[in-house]
Amino acid sequence: MQPASDLEMLMARYQRGDFAAATALIHRLSPQLHRFFVVQLASRGDADDLLQETWMRIHEVRHTYRAGQPVLPWLYAIARHIRVDHYRKALRTAAREEPLEEVPEVAAPLPAPSGATPDLEALLAPLPQSQREVIEMLKVSGMSLEEVARATSSSVGSVKQKAHRAYETLRERLSGARSMKARTGGLS
Amino acid sequence: MRDREIDEILKQAAQAPHAVDPALLDRVARSIGSSLAPVRPLPPAWVLACGLVLVSVAVALAGAARLGLFGIQKLSLLQHALIFPVLGILICLAATAFVAEMIPGSRRLLAPGFLLGAASLALLAVFAVLFRDYRTDRFVSQGVACLTAGLLHAVPVALAAWLLLRRGFAVDSMAAGVVAGTLAGLAGVTMLELHCANFEAPHVMLWHTAVMPVCAAAGALLARFARR
Repeated sequence: MQPASDLEMLMARYQRGDFAAATALIHRLSPQLHRFFVVQLASRGDADDLLQETWMRIHEVRHTYRAGQPVLPWLYAIARHIRVDHYRKALRTAAREEPLEEVPEVAAPLPAPSGATPDLEALLAPLPQSQREVIEMLKVSGMSLEEVARATSSSVGSVKQKAHRAYETLRERLSGARSMKARTGGLS
Repeated sequence: MRDREIDEILKQAAQAPHAVDPALLDRVARSIGSSLAPVRPLPPAWVLACGLVLVSVAVALAGAARLGLFGIQKLSLLQHALIFPVLGILICLAATAFVAEMIPGSRRLLAPGFLLGAASLALLAVFAVLFRDYRTDRFVSQGVACLTAGLLHAVPVALAAWLLLRRGFAVDSMAAGVVAGTLAGLAGVTMLELHCANFEAPHVMLWHTAVMPVCAAAGALLARFARR
């Protein structure tokens, strides 16, 4: 996580045409943006493309950032737009493709057992996309409720509700995984 | 399992390093560097909103002056005092909402659908309270004329909004289209209130108010086509 004022300063310098500031922003913010795309169940290759596309769009519309405003909601609002656009294009492409006769079922991955570092993508996989992005922004990017509301063009109340529902699902899933582990541990 | 435990699990998961290919980042930096020039940031949101309000009011006044200010001359003091302040407030709200739509990461005070619904209901309520003549003389012919005039006067405001939108970036183009349509429609309604001297309640409530949802629907449709 970056100190907000530091990012705002870099963004202002980027708008003034400072290449060092632009490079610093790219190197600082890309890992969390890339993770944002991966958590939305994009493959790493897709996430690379989305990241590149996001920076190109950020560059194109960098004048819309207003000094003194938080950088992350502005940045994530653009990243979301790119993701949604990519999803729409993928849907259109898929509609033109011939489906396989039989699609193999893929089970949602279970969170890693306690002790090992849990895998964020697997942990958030069972959540609907809207809840997943809220949890990613709140817990991974460290944004406030107000910032997430700005990034997702919604109200703070709606963000709170999505986070609450996501926690309910995670609680159910993690408790289930824990009790299953206790049962199998008891048998061995 | 408590929220704190889930927080802890998420925190641990978030701390796992997530590397991005350095070559990709270098490539991005190089492409940005090749076209890096200073840019002029957008003016403050209130300046943009005031500009839109001025355009809307100017279009309504100019249109009504051209067609004749018959409505405002015939309205009572109470009708003046209620209709125009309500329209003014709604235009300010719509302009502010539109500016929020064209700047990514802005605080959204009103959802576009809510703005349209609330503005339509507010106008219907004001008209229902103020106009009690329920005759329907030449209901369709006069109504269509008013609707057409309202829509025509909404066009310049919609164009101004579109020009402003080209300077910004709407992350949700449909929402921006609905809000721009609502604003343009409100300018059309204001022009009709200044011009139209037909105070039959069904005429005002249906044909005048309809300008706004029709414009909002047109805005949404145009945004949908533009997105493709």
